[in-house]
Amino acid sequence: MANIQDSVIQREHVLATTELTKAVANKARYLQTLAAAIQAQDDRLIYQLIDGERYSKEIQQAKHGSSDERNEQLVIDISDKLSQYLSGNLIAYLHETYPFFYFEQTSLGHFQFYFGNWWDRRLFGTLDVLKVRFNFDQTEYKKLELAFKLEIQKKRLNSDKIAAISQQTDQLQSLIDSQDSRDQEKEKVRLQLKKLAQDKVLPWEASKAKEAKQKLVERLSFLTDQDEKAQQAYKLIRESEEKVLALSKEDTLIGYEKQSIVAKFGGFENFTARNASLYRDYIADLIATKGRVKINE
Amino acid sequence: MSENFEQKTVTFKPKEKNILKTDEEASVRESAATLSTTGRLIAYNQELKDSLHNGIRFTQLLEQLVQTKEPQTLFEAALKLVNFQLDNSYLVFPQQYSRADFYLIFLNRLLELHNSEKVILQSSDRNRELYHEFPGINTHGYFAFQLEKGTTDGAYYTEKNSGEILFYLNFHKNIVRFNSRSLVQLLLVDYPDKILPEAIKSFETYLLNIGRFFKEDYGFDVDFNLLDPSNSAVYELSNPQIQHSVIDQLFVMAAEGGRMLKVGAHNEAILNLNEGTVVTLFDKSIQNNTGVPEWAIKVNDAEHQVSWFDILLQYQFVRKWYLDNLSDLEVRSDSLYFN
Repeated sequence: MANIQDSVIQREHVLATTELTKAVANKARYLQTLAAAIQAQDDRLIYQLIDGERYSKEIQQAKHGSSDERNEQLVIDISDKLSQYLSGNLIAYLHETYPFFYFEQTSLGHFQFYFGNWWDRRLFGTLDVLKVRFNFDQTEYKKLELAFKLEIQKKRLNSDKIAAISQQTDQLQSLIDSQDSRDQEKEKVRLQLKKLAQDKVLPWEASKAKEAKQKLVERLSFLTDQDEKAQQAYKLIRESEEKVLALSKEDTLIGYEKQSIVAKFGGFENFTARNASLYRDYIADLIATKGRVKINE
Repeated sequence: MSENFEQKTVTFKPKEKNILKTDEEASVRESAATLSTTGRLIAYNQELKDSLHNGIRFTQLLEQLVQTKEPQTLFEAALKLVNFQLDNSYLVFPQQYSRADFYLIFLNRLLELHNSEKVILQSSDRNRELYHEFPGINTHGYFAFQLEKGTTDGAYYTEKNSGEILFYLNFHKNIVRFNSRSLVQLLLVDYPDKILPEAIKSFETYLLNIGRFFKEDYGFDVDFNLLDPSNSAVYELSNPQIQHSVIDQLFVMAAEGGRMLKVGAHNEAILNLNEGTVVTLFDKSIQNNTGVPEWAIKVNDAEHQVSWFDILLQYQFVRKWYLDNLSDLEVRSDSLYFN
């Protein structure tokens, strides 16, 4: 019995050795292939190696992706280094395809980008180098999207807000401008009140006089309120000007963004379509150029 | 007679300052106070002689001023004439040019020596003085010098109707200082409605020439202020800590004017204009590492011919922006002479 048991254990151990050797060899082969790809600057192959499923789905149009997730996990802890390496060719490619995005490295393998090279351009998102994808800042992206939609109404993003503020400003201005006529009216009302106080009132007219007096007092207090509002109007107008400036500036920024997109892609739909197919387009470009290094061009 | 006329004081005591020719004359003078009628007459006669000599000397200087072909001689003549005391208690000349007039005559001659005399020297009967009239500006400009109080060496070139002082000139300190506030007020606020831009430009060139000739011929220290066309000129703002929104305004106005205000590597604002001209608003503290914002303006062009003033003259949206924010953006003038 003991012998049989021993031989079983032995057999299993041999099997285990074979299995492990195979498994390690598999991983080693994966890493060797990756090392060779890096050595050969074959970015396409690297993309295939680090995300086989996506590659086979998007590039080979396979129904079932051939995933190699376990091996792919081997490089997770060096993903920043991978990203840094791959960013070279990718950003060179993006410079051509998205000439209006300006990339800036924030840390090893991590990049953010600005829309445009104009004054106070907006920070528009981050670049996921390994996934070949833009992560747009949703607030900024939605403003741009909305601005394109408003085009049909021949409006800019902030047209309505600016119009509303301008109307307010006009009202405030007229409040300031009408100060003189208000002063005159107040004088008149005061005189009337004075006269009312001096006039002898017959008993049966007392309530009528009281009512007249009440009306005048109310009018006077209304006018004084207006005066106070006029006093504050200067400050409010100044604040409105600042708001309008900020809104106009945003409209101008977005106007430039729209122009850039139209100039390169013809319209917003084509832009979003291109964003969606960026991975495919980039790999296709790598195949077409045979991974030719573009960084130093 | 000596060359020391510029040493004279303005008090009417020429005899105290005159250097006497001979011992004999000296003794005559010394004794004059004490003395006989003859002695007094001799002394009187000597005073007249001296006064006449003084007058002759004056005419020689005036001749130099009007006729010399030499910039240096011209300068010496002007320097003496603006300090010259022609009248004294013995001899008075009823017809005279003022010191301010000599400054003007000098300018015309200087420009003439450089074949750049565009400005016309006119004579005002009403004010009994000379003044400058500039072709194209015509009656909208009456330019003359106003003497600095307390000295004869400095004078302000002024448009008298508006009182705008365009530059300060000092023969002894050897300086010329242009005044941005008045240049802007007169040439960019008052004139554009009534005067053609070409005439304003031509007047600017005239002012620039004056500064250049002083610098080149006499080694003056010239602050051209916003007229300086050199690419190395840095136009200092009166408030170097301008708010971000001031530049935002330019961004919006530029877009409306069909131009894009760009951003540079050091967060400077860059405005590309016609013919390769570039205006840059930059924060000096970024490169100096001082931490306190210090915004200034530069203008670049291939020929070193475009100044900040030219930009303000040529581009309406830039001018509007500058004037709207004048309290921040006004180019600083020398505070010793302008407030």
